[in-house]
Amino acid sequence: MISLSDVSKTYNEGRPNEVAALRSVTLDIAREGVTVFMGPSGSGKTTLLSLVGCMARPTTGRITLDGEPVSGLPERFLTELRRVKFGFVFQRFNLIRGLSVLDNVMLPAAPLGEEPKTVQARAMMRLEALGLAEKALMPVEVLSGGETQRAAIARALVNDAPVLIADEPTANLDTALTHRFLDIVAGLRDEGKTVILTSHDPRIIAASAVTAVVEMRDGKVVEVRG
Amino acid sequence: MKALRRQRALADYTLAALARRKVKNLALVGVFSLVVFLLASAMFFASALRHEASAALEGVPDLIVQHLSLGRQGMISEDRIAELESIRGVSKVRGRLWGYYYDRVSGANYTVMVPDGGQMPAPGQVIVGEGIPRARGLDWEGAPLFLSRKQGDLNRFDIAQIYSSDSALLTADLLLMNEADFRAFFSVPEGVYTDIAARVRNANELATIIDKATSLMPDERFVSRDDIARTYMKLFDWREGLMVALGAMAMLAFAIFAADKASGLSAEEAREIGILKAIGWDTRDVIAMKLWEGGLVSVGAFLLGAVAAYAHVFWFGAPLFAPVLKGWAVIYPDFALAPVIDGSQLVTLFLLTVLPYAAATVVPVWRAASADPDAVMR
Ligand SMILES: Nc1ncnc2c1ncn2[C@@H]1O[C@H](COP(=O)(O)OP(=O)(O)O)[C@@H](O)[C@H]1O
Ligand SMILES: [Mg+2]
Repeated sequence: MISLSDVSKTYNEGRPNEVAALRSVTLDIAREGVTVFMGPSGSGKTTLLSLVGCMARPTTGRITLDGEPVSGLPERFLTELRRVKFGFVFQRFNLIRGLSVLDNVMLPAAPLGEEPKTVQARAMMRLEALGLAEKALMPVEVLSGGETQRAAIARALVNDAPVLIADEPTANLDTALTHRFLDIVAGLRDEGKTVILTSHDPRIIAASAVTAVVEMRDGKVVEVRG
Repeated sequence: MKALRRQRALADYTLAALARRKVKNLALVGVFSLVVFLLASAMFFASALRHEASAALEGVPDLIVQHLSLGRQGMISEDRIAELESIRGVSKVRGRLWGYYYDRVSGANYTVMVPDGGQMPAPGQVIVGEGIPRARGLDWEGAPLFLSRKQGDLNRFDIAQIYSSDSALLTADLLLMNEADFRAFFSVPEGVYTDIAARVRNANELATIIDKATSLMPDERFVSRDDIARTYMKLFDWREGLMVALGAMAMLAFAIFAADKASGLSAEEAREIGILKAIGWDTRDVIAMKLWEGGLVSVGAFLLGAVAAYAHVFWFGAPLFAPVLKGWAVIYPDFALAPVIDGSQLVTLFLLTVLPYAAATVVPVWRAASADPDAVMR
């Protein structure tokens, strides 16, 4: 269970360009299943995702991960949590240009100090499962949109993190690719992973794989379904 | 083991990252090694000159007596030798014969000397420095050297030996002759010398000895080893001064270059650091990776620059510093300085370039890596 109690996030606090991106959010996210944050653009979905994923700390409030408080931890512990607990698929994917697909997928494992062969085998397994094995040695620039997303998913999963986080994963995908993505999500759910997505895509909200929908507006949670 | 493998993974990433920005990194290595090349060249050159200067001083006698006539140096009578010997504390007094010879054929000045013991050439033979056969274009062994003092008067000398020593600067233009040949060639009568050299047993007594000798021989001038040292140092100092000025300019260029690096990262680099942090790299992983990058670039460039400087100064005769050596250009067409390297200077240069560069690389990285990585979510 990931729990947020009375969490707020204010950017540029005390300055004229102050923005209250999240206001007093209290929410429980189940470890089993697929949770979607939905809401219009600017409603605070990405901000909420970055707090849940330990990318940033809340301005006020408390976040716990399986009962352990994380919101007050120093940066290096948050980094470790990101490395072992979370896999991220960013809205802009953020693969590193100029490196091969395989090198990109292996990146989160670099600080672990594992045998390079072990990491490579794990990365190839993920790429294989996502239908990218033949592209492993190509530079990431040559991938199509759908392939780039799947490479990003492979990277997010290479350390076998229990929680996968994806920001607007289907924003640029056509219907066929959206369904392919949902199939991948369903597979991960069946593996026992926690999946947290943001979206305002009705195809996602309606998908059978989705187990909970958190509706947001103006930095607040207005409704939780499922 | 784990820590080693971690470093290996970081180094692998660094290599891939360097290869990916090939043009930029080659430019970086280029600028860096150019600066090291200039600084190291100036350093090698300066320390080689200093070495030449101290080699030159080694053979200088404690006291030289010159004869002044009408305020200019003239030949000195051999009678002064006995007078000098009569002063307590003075030893090894000997008359010296030497002078300069302008060689019209090569347009160069040679220093002609009668050696002081040691390798005295036989009559009709000369021992020459490396520069002379070269200036004359004598390219076969045993070629005679013809010298002429006036039109139609040709003197043939056989080259008995070509002189080479650690101190090319001092011996390249040297021409050693037998005493009888010297007197005949320059029309110097018996009983006079160019000057007289002497040893002084106790350096502290030099001033007293010069006082005594001055009252004994009012027409002579006495030059001490220190006076000569000063002159030599002046000669080498201005050349070194130029080197220092060149070095300072190179250092300044490097400072600007390092400051530019320290002032910030490109947006692309900053985002890359954010991404690495976001997917679980520690701040120290990011810094270690950037240290690998900076280390490979700077140490590689340092080695490249230092080796190029060595070749430039000691193999190719420092053509970049040709203006500094102008006076010697004729006699030293491919003048080779004796390779002398001052290890501590090289270490200093390493510390002055590689360390500031590493610091300049790490500071902005550390700043970028310490920020929350949530910016890459957008
Ligand atoms: N780094 C930031 N600095 C200032 N304002 C920000 C920053 N990030 C997000 N915001 C603001 O916070 C609000 C919520 O943004 P976001 O969480 O990205 O919403 P969503 O993902 O739902 O579109 C928006 O008004 C946005 O402009
Ligand atoms: Mg968003």
